[in-house]
Amino acid sequence: MASTMADSELTPKFAPFLGMAGIAAAMVFGSMGAAYGTAKSGIGIAGVGTFRPDLIMKCLIPVVMSGIIAVYALVVSVLIAQDLGPPSSGTNYSLFNGFMHLACGLSVGLTGLAAGYCIGIVGDKGVRSYMLQSRVFVGMVLILIFGEVLGLYGLIVALILNTKSKG
Amino acid sequence: MATRRIVSQEKSLLEKDDRIGSSPAANEKSNITPAVPTAVIVKLLAFTFAMIILPIGSYFATVDTIFKGNSTFAGALAAVMANVVLIGYVIAAMKEDQSDQLEESAREKKKGL
Repeated sequence: MASTMADSELTPKFAPFLGMAGIAAAMVFGSMGAAYGTAKSGIGIAGVGTFRPDLIMKCLIPVVMSGIIAVYALVVSVLIAQDLGPPSSGTNYSLFNGFMHLACGLSVGLTGLAAGYCIGIVGDKGVRSYMLQSRVFVGMVLILIFGEVLGLYGLIVALILNTKSKG
Repeated sequence: MATRRIVSQEKSLLEKDDRIGSSPAANEKSNITPAVPTAVIVKLLAFTFAMIILPIGSYFATVDTIFKGNSTFAGALAAVMANVVLIGYVIAAMKEDQSDQLEESAREKKKGL
């Protein structure tokens, strides 16, 4: 079998599977977190909007933050996908790269899930409290930022990991 | 025996004046101002499109031109752009709240005078 792909111990045939799994994990878990954050805080906004429609603009902040979680996942997925190539293009995809991309995807995906979960709960309760007491707003935004930063840490780790493939 | 209506003195339905007749509001303008002002909708749409296009667009715009293939910096830039949109949204929301309060206080001043 004249294969263009050099199948050695360092570049086994299943290595791309791990990289693909990394892409899928980043996108799937990140979107799960973003969806939970959007839905849960959306319920809170629907509850607040019926009583104080003038507050809706400010109450949308957790929804915007949930969107950012999905953007992080998207960025890492695109980053990993650019390093992947079909075997016919002559690229040898090493097992190291496969595991590394899996780590990238899992770190950004699962921290995104955690951050989205946090944003959803804080967004729901926060906007309801903000309706009754306007001073809650600063605290709510601060807590949301700290929840969102969890996803940012995952992104930073993924970006740093991704630089190791060029060695 | 029932009393008879004097038909000749009564106005027919066509002769009745609409203004005071069956529909008193017919002459007035109804309030058709939309519940959500256009400015707010435009603002929200702008932020939505910025959130969709700006991060990933900045990634692809800079990865080969400014960062010369270094996708790490381009990815970091995309994350930064997403956060810039968020900060812009928070500032816009705060401003809107303040403008609402200013309007209210101005209205109250007018009432006081």
